[in-house]
Amino acid sequence: MTNGSLFAVATTAAAILCCAPIASAQVYGGDTQTIGVQVAPITVVTVQGGAVALNITDADVVAGVDAMTVQDQNTRLVWGTNSSARKITAQTSLASPLFQLRLIAASPTRGTPGPEMLLGTAPQNLLLGIGRSLGSCTLRYTGTALASQGIGTDIHTITFTVTTQ
Amino acid sequence: MISPRWFGLLVLLLCLAADAGAQPLRVQGGSQTLQITTALPGQQPTPVVNTATTLRFRRQSQIAKITVSTSCPGQRFSLRARAVSVQDGSPAPAVTLTHGMPAADLIRDIPSQPVNPPVRRATIEYTASSTFEQGNSTELGADSHTVTFTIVAQ
Repeated sequence: MTNGSLFAVATTAAAILCCAPIASAQVYGGDTQTIGVQVAPITVVTVQGGAVALNITDADVVAGVDAMTVQDQNTRLVWGTNSSARKITAQTSLASPLFQLRLIAASPTRGTPGPEMLLGTAPQNLLLGIGRSLGSCTLRYTGTALASQGIGTDIHTITFTVTTQ
Repeated sequence: MISPRWFGLLVLLLCLAADAGAQPLRVQGGSQTLQITTALPGQQPTPVVNTATTLRFRRQSQIAKITVSTSCPGQRFSLRARAVSVQDGSPAPAVTLTHGMPAADLIRDIPSQPVNPPVRRATIEYTASSTFEQGNSTELGADSHTVTFTIVAQ
């Protein structure tokens, strides 16, 4: 066999090997792609249950006791946050209420309730330690009026805020 | 009359050219980023879907399938992939892409066709999701997947 023939055989064999499927691995080919996943800081908070009306009537009066109280726990606070070290505060829009309105978070699925607060215009801690969680709690409102205060109506707009703890 | 030397070279070049022009599988669409930005009250963050990627593939000499795997060190969030609008073969159920996973089937039962197979296409539907517990990229960084598609004999 001449050198030329040997060269031809060698290159033809190389060509066949190049074209042949890689039968042993059974892999024909592949490709790659880069995929990024970014998650923005997300916080949602909402009140479920609608408006609350605390009506103090004759039924709430105890003879000989000045203070009359009524309680409501028909609303829930639902939140979700993917940020760490977060808490929920509550505050009212009513700067000078006639009567006392107190609030506490009851039965939270996550976090630790703050102490029962007398609602004011400055934010106060309702629930602590709710970072990176989805949860809910019952809102327990207690309205108190003194018989000596007479009659009247307070309208509160209460704001709940998820903030850095 | 062509010499044996030039004949051999010609065969080699033709084969290489044919191989380059008939890549078994290619990904089209470039790098993609899925951004999760919203949530509905009482629900986990809303998943995001991306369908900007197309797989171009050819039938092979044997019945084949396309598999998918990913490399994403320090992965924090969830990413799934599935093939939709598949022109050839049968799409497998959605695959959850996790770092270090073994290759999982994406398209199965691609018929064989040893000679001049046409290009077939499938759309890749990525779905990214996260939970509030998994945090956010501002605090923890983003995930970067190197997703590998491979066409293999089935």
